[in-house]
Amino acid sequence: MEHSSLAGRIFRGIALTLILIFFMFPIVWIFMMSFQNNDQILRIPPRILFEPTLANYEALISGQLRTAAGSLQMPFMRNLFNSVVLSSAAVLLALLLGVPAAYAFARFKFRLGETIAFTLLSFRFAPPLLVLLPLSLYYQELGLSDTYFGIVWVYQLIALPLILWIVRGYFEDISPDIEHAYRLAGHSWREAFTRIAVPLAGPGIAAAGLLSFIFCWNNFVFALILASADKQPVTVGALAFVTASGIQYGQIAAAIVLSVTPTLLLALYAQRYLVEGLSLGAVKG
Amino acid sequence: MDMLELRGIDKVYQSRGKPPVHAVRALDMAVEKGEIVALLGSSGCGKTSTLRMIAGFEDVSAGSIALGGRRIHELPPARRKVAMAFEGYSLYPPLTVRENIAFALKSAQLSRSEVTRRVDEIARLVEIEDILDSYPRAISGGQQQRVSLARALVRDADLYLLDEPMGQLEPQLRAVLRGRIKSLLAERGMTAIFVTHDQTEASALADRIAVMEGGVLQQFASEKELKSKPANLFVASFIGEPPMNLLDASVARSDGGFRLSVGTDMHFDISGAGLDSEATKALAGTPQVRIGIRPQKIAVGTGAVRVKVVSNQWLGDQSHVAGDCNGRMLIAVTPGRVAARPGDIVPFALEPRHLHIFGSNETCIRHAEVS
Amino acid sequence: MARLEISSVSKAFGATRPADGLSLAVEPGEIVAVFGPSGSGKTVLLRMIAGMFEPDSGDITVGGRSIVGAPPERRGIGMAFQNFALFPHMTARDNIASGLRASGSDVANRVAAISKLLKIEHVLGHAPRELSNGQKQRTALARALIGNPDVLLLDDPLRNVDAKLRYEMRLELPNLLRRGTAAVLYVTQDYREAMAIADRIAVLIDGRLVQVATPADIYAQPASVAIARLFGDPTINLAEVSPVAEHGMLTTDVAGARMRLGAADGLAFPGACWLGVRPEDLVVSSASADDAIPARILAITPMHEKAVLLLRLADGTEWLAALPPDAPQGVADDSVFVRFAPDAAMLFDRATGLRIGQTHRLKAA
Repeated sequence: MEHSSLAGRIFRGIALTLILIFFMFPIVWIFMMSFQNNDQILRIPPRILFEPTLANYEALISGQLRTAAGSLQMPFMRNLFNSVVLSSAAVLLALLLGVPAAYAFARFKFRLGETIAFTLLSFRFAPPLLVLLPLSLYYQELGLSDTYFGIVWVYQLIALPLILWIVRGYFEDISPDIEHAYRLAGHSWREAFTRIAVPLAGPGIAAAGLLSFIFCWNNFVFALILASADKQPVTVGALAFVTASGIQYGQIAAAIVLSVTPTLLLALYAQRYLVEGLSLGAVKG
Repeated sequence: MDMLELRGIDKVYQSRGKPPVHAVRALDMAVEKGEIVALLGSSGCGKTSTLRMIAGFEDVSAGSIALGGRRIHELPPARRKVAMAFEGYSLYPPLTVRENIAFALKSAQLSRSEVTRRVDEIARLVEIEDILDSYPRAISGGQQQRVSLARALVRDADLYLLDEPMGQLEPQLRAVLRGRIKSLLAERGMTAIFVTHDQTEASALADRIAVMEGGVLQQFASEKELKSKPANLFVASFIGEPPMNLLDASVARSDGGFRLSVGTDMHFDISGAGLDSEATKALAGTPQVRIGIRPQKIAVGTGAVRVKVVSNQWLGDQSHVAGDCNGRMLIAVTPGRVAARPGDIVPFALEPRHLHIFGSNETCIRHAEVS
Repeated sequence: MARLEISSVSKAFGATRPADGLSLAVEPGEIVAVFGPSGSGKTVLLRMIAGMFEPDSGDITVGGRSIVGAPPERRGIGMAFQNFALFPHMTARDNIASGLRASGSDVANRVAAISKLLKIEHVLGHAPRELSNGQKQRTALARALIGNPDVLLLDDPLRNVDAKLRYEMRLELPNLLRRGTAAVLYVTQDYREAMAIADRIAVLIDGRLVQVATPADIYAQPASVAIARLFGDPTINLAEVSPVAEHGMLTTDVAGARMRLGAADGLAFPGACWLGVRPEDLVVSSASADDAIPARILAITPMHEKAVLLLRLADGTEWLAALPPDAPQGVADDSVFVRFAPDAAMLFDRATGLRIGQTHRLKAA
């Protein structure tokens, strides 16, 4: 039943606009800040109109941070590159491991199956700080600390449970008869998995992959403890903006814009899948 | 007196970015007090939308609904004095079957013993006495449907709406329940409308059947009339199981009447004496008609039409013989067993008096004689 | 050309036993309908043959070779599912072609041939979601048929198509299935479908095959009262009786009337019985007679071109009579008298449910 009078529609429009402004304001403000220098940013009252400068971006790309106390080396682009490499590799590995595992959990009832699945999920319950100390000791012992592989491995704690639980829901939604039909047509279970199950769960896999990419990208604590300067992702690298001589707001804003861009583009591209994946995962997982 | 009156009902579903869907068009229908009416049609014909508009779960896009003289289409469902049994059962999971049925009587403020008496009575009728203390999840789909039916029928209402009331029932129980529910409704003078896609169910339960297609009411009549006097080609081919045999025929004048020819080998002489003036005019004005004959009206083993048997199926109480007559398929149903095997040539008898004749606009020119 | 043989196959899931010592052989080119009420184990049987799960005991052979333990893709089985199970991301053409391992022009030819047979040539390029239910079912059948499998399993394939199409397919399917030499198992819940399509019907109740015979035999000579109740619409009428032999004739009292049930010779004395009479075998008239049961008409409901009378006999039993449309029917509340011919009566042992006088009835028929 739809009761939509004109007044109702106007009210709905206003309410939506207010909500939109509320959520979009910080993003727009940061975007504007990234084109201003510190003086302009700290001016009171703040102004909407200003003379844009690309100095912040220049500094970030060249790696030369200018502060009141002088210039400072800061490998921001290197951090950005690390973020891309670490997150992509972590998601790729998690997909390779998680999708077949999710399939197994969805299709086969085996002893301790539910327990194992739940244990994997429970990695997400524990605060990362709790496991960090023993983990860093192990890593030092194993020679894994400050390696790409080590960080990718620890990122599995973030990505794997997510992929496992979302994709599992998608696999459960596919009628097993469809795979049975494919096998009876003379195809092995491996073919049924790759040609039927994976394509049909495609949206779910894409959404789960994207979500875990975002979570990996935004991770801070693991990388802070386990990675040194040349393996650091942006989240950790951004700490360098807090200098002894003050906080460089403009550069921070520019850094945020740069580091948000890849995930934002990815998210916009796969928005449809993402929403579907979130809601489905919430219901099914 | 008309108990329920639907006048010029339209239902349009509008969703953004899609063309509006006209689910029901200009529906006029009057149901008498104590009458049982079936809304019959295939999925998407508008029958369920109609039922939901009467119940109040959908707004009408245009038109009015009156029940017992009250205009109800602007009232909320609870104030329409309408009881409904849902297709999806919709039983309350935390209540037992007995409580579910009794719940429908809550607003009637009856004494406890009266409630028990009524619940027991209706439970006996639909054979759920032994599961009255079970919970909905513990009973089968067929049983849930019977509970849902009982919950609607136990109430006092001006109108009873039943959505696919027997779709899930065990076939062994169906025939008996149909008879019992029909006699309960008749005994108490209850007015009921039910939706079904199953014409066996419609003809078994209903006094009159409203055949719908594409949102339009095609014909509203008794089962007998739908079969003997279908208003158009759609009703003729939709009603009847197996469906009516339909053939294209050319029309030629013959002395005192018309000769309808199917191909070069089947001819039917229609005497002008049996036609009213309108039918005569219609037949004289068209070179081509479609003729229809019910499978039950084709006699097997006699007659002039030779067919090659495609299949001969014995169903215990009747035979269905499908035969090919120069590329045209004819189906005959006879009560006895037929000793013919696929490939045999068997004579079929099609009598001119059993033919329904349809004109180019699919309306009926002449009905078969009622035997 | 391979015979399907199922020998004493059993399967249990916890406390339920959907298959309890099933034995059945299907010849090449033969259609056997597996018929039974829902939950009787029909689908489990098909799935064991298809290899979706293995029997706990017993053997299944195709052409003499055991297929138990073999993966589904090596069993030489084609299957059509109730819910169609089409691959949603492939066109109808690719769905059908997936049934062939080969590739090249041969595939195109065979897809063309089978889709012509099933009248779906015009929708080959469509995705499953663009097809009507009838077209989906035909596509699924084409996929099952195209590989010329030794064994064809059809799991209630007409369940989800509308009445008109179901009727068409009921006429078409037997000819279609007999084109090849596959041994066909056809699961259905509709006894008319089983009778129309099958050469033999295997009646499955609670995981056991209770009767395997031709459709006509099962209808005329059901092995038990449970089977008699499954075949026939409306259902067979039952009454509790204790027949006695009188002058070589078996008679019994039914709701106050003395009814003759045929010759008593060669019958063990039956004792407590169920009397079964099919609704179409009842004759209803307004004239009273010694061998007519007094009854009252409760309701008249038309059905399949027949009039079905709900009758209450003098002792309160409810019976149904199915009369031809041209027979005089009376109106509700009329008092009438019901008769049946002695050879229309079936007797079942009330303790075991089994039919009495099998041999005798066979002689009579």
